[in-house]
Amino acid sequence: MVATVVGIRLRTTRHLLRRDWWRAVVLALGLLWGLAMLPTLLIAQAALAGQDAGIRADALVALCSVLCVGWATVPLVVAGLDDTLEPARFRSLGVPARTIMPGLVAAAFLTLPALFFALLMVILGASWRGEGAAVLLVALAGLGLMLASMVMGARVSAAWAARLLSSRRAKLATVAAMVVGLAAIAPVALALFRDGLTSVLAEDVEILLSRLADSPLGAGAAAPRAAAEGDWLGAAWRLALQAGWALALLAVWHENVARSLVAPLGRGGGARRHHDRVLDPTRTPATPRDPAAGAVHARLARAWTSDPRYLASLAGVLLLPAFFFALVMPVFDLDRRWAYVVPLMLAATIGWGRHNDVAFDSTGLWLDVVSGRLGRAVMGGRLAAAAGWALPLVLAAAVGTVVWTGRWHDAPGLLGACVGVLGVSLAVAAVSAVLLPYRAPAPGASPFGAEVGAVGAGLAAQLASSLVALGLVPFVVVPFVLSLTLAPAWGWLACVAGLVAGIGAYVGALRLAGMLYDRRSGRLLAAVA
Amino acid sequence: MTTVPALALRGLTKRFGSTLAVDRVDLDIPAGSFYGVVGPNGAGKTTTLSMATGLLEPDAGSVAVLGVDLWAAPEVAKPLLGVLPDGLHTFDRLTGAELISYAGRLRGLDRDTVRARRDDLLAALDLEDAGSVLVMDYSAGMTKKVGLACALVHAPRVLVLDEPFEAVDPVSAGAIRRILAAFVESGGTVVMSSHVMALVERLCDHVAVVGAGRVLDAGPLGDVRGGGDLEERFVALVGDVRDQRDLTWLRQS
Repeated sequence: MVATVVGIRLRTTRHLLRRDWWRAVVLALGLLWGLAMLPTLLIAQAALAGQDAGIRADALVALCSVLCVGWATVPLVVAGLDDTLEPARFRSLGVPARTIMPGLVAAAFLTLPALFFALLMVILGASWRGEGAAVLLVALAGLGLMLASMVMGARVSAAWAARLLSSRRAKLATVAAMVVGLAAIAPVALALFRDGLTSVLAEDVEILLSRLADSPLGAGAAAPRAAAEGDWLGAAWRLALQAGWALALLAVWHENVARSLVAPLGRGGGARRHHDRVLDPTRTPATPRDPAAGAVHARLARAWTSDPRYLASLAGVLLLPAFFFALVMPVFDLDRRWAYVVPLMLAATIGWGRHNDVAFDSTGLWLDVVSGRLGRAVMGGRLAAAAGWALPLVLAAAVGTVVWTGRWHDAPGLLGACVGVLGVSLAVAAVSAVLLPYRAPAPGASPFGAEVGAVGAGLAAQLASSLVALGLVPFVVVPFVLSLTLAPAWGWLACVAGLVAGIGAYVGALRLAGMLYDRRSGRLLAAVA
Repeated sequence: MTTVPALALRGLTKRFGSTLAVDRVDLDIPAGSFYGVVGPNGAGKTTTLSMATGLLEPDAGSVAVLGVDLWAAPEVAKPLLGVLPDGLHTFDRLTGAELISYAGRLRGLDRDTVRARRDDLLAALDLEDAGSVLVMDYSAGMTKKVGLACALVHAPRVLVLDEPFEAVDPVSAGAIRRILAAFVESGGTVVMSSHVMALVERLCDHVAVVGAGRVLDAGPLGDVRGGGDLEERFVALVGDVRDQRDLTWLRQS
């Protein structure tokens, strides 16, 4: 059964590579990158081998902890988990989870990232070879268990997140996750802001590392140090802890697979809605007056509050600005004015995040297309639905930052620049969504899954839209930067310029994207369905 | 009956990679007819109907709806059409009632008209109870029915329905048949594809047999089936299963 399941995966990949040559290019680039990293890894190994056991263990514990967190969170932010072996696909075959599980596990370890990190673990683990064969063995076993924890942690976190978001309590769960996330980095950020990086490094990091070394985030990497010091009991219980953690993750994953074999994701749970929100929408300033645009807006307003795929991207946009504010700023000890980057970054990520907007409706798009020449109305409704929550959020973030810096005379420039960046990036995304759509997770599918080999599926679209956005955004931000560096008078110019650019880009994109939508309507459905 | 055909397809062609899915299809569907399109799996029925309704851009050829070129003037032609595609889902986070309202508002109807027609359609298709349930919780047959309601809400002149009776229970199928028959009776045109020959023979007055991306035969039902029944004619046109292999291992005794 292992061979069958792994075989399915390899064969699908082969068929896809034969059908789309560029997937092979992406795969080759990935391989090349991995190979290019080899010398770096060998140098790192040599450097580690030259250090004493304590520093070597600390470095590996820190690395493994970061990697564990990375494996668990990255699939949630960038949809990338290969869905060939999505357990739901085995539903009609009537096989129990027990039968396919070994195959799924084997396949999970046979992905390019997993193989690369396996190589990384082996190379870095070999830095313990100077301590004798027994210690080396412990190191390799510990790091192997770490890798297993990472790979399975990724599966479990994606499965759980998908399950949470598809439930009726999705909204609550998203908010709670964001609050917990912020709460987790808040103390770190506070300590960094208060004491500065150097003193934190001197005092707290040591404590943190020793805690991590006793936790499943780093126990496997810390085991060889204990062994090298002759504390074989310490090495044994750390290995046991890591193995137990990996087994626990495996059990949770198994439970998730078993569940998704019988319980399809993404059903409404029999929810009833008695108000026709399409016919009688809740009036907001963002509601378009045109009947068709209003209908599209009402539909997307529902999606933004209940569709896991939209909720996932909603949560995703907050990550980068929060990370910048809480970690990058204090670590590099940046001037408070750098905080203005946060609302600007938020505006840009929200806007750019919509660059594949149209594809999210892959299965329902036909209704918009057969109903007439409606490009303007469809794009207008879509943009209004995104801007309806994005604009207040970005403005609130901007005001919050100004309150934090206390420099109220920067406010007009910042607000203008934020509106400008949001308008321009939404505009670029709207045009890209019509010109270069690529397949998005289907309605009801896991929002974190991706089409087979999709790491590169939207590469052209992502690259083009981000380059255009990167090229245009600075023009909007320049006057504001001048107001900070040159003379505050630039602030008012930045305000006006931002408003004009933002609103102008929004309206212009609406027309351009609408026109392109009409022209390409006969090709859109084929491109995304 | 007017002389302008309800749908006129000229030289429609679509190629997907190395497969020629639709190969220069010419077809006139007379206004006021109940037109059946039949063909084996993979014959190009859905691709042809997609091109005829504006969902898929043809590589070559033209489509005219009551004399209006669909691909040149979609804003005039599309309002004349009501479409139910096969195998495509709908916006699954709307309720059935909201989905019908959505289709009506997209077509530019005013609120009161949409409200009245939505309630009529829900009642006529026996979806009144399901009107407040999200479409994602619908069964396949219910999804078909609400899709049909969306195709009807703006009172089109030509209905293009891909497999409208698939997965629909006999009671609802009866209701749909009555709606469609009354629509044709009043001068409308229905084009539907189906695999069920008996259904086509019972409902349609015209039929086209499609195979391997081409129209093999088309015309009034009586002319196409000749002396025999439609199924015999169909098999004669598209050919029987080539290898008549017995699945001996499937026998129960």
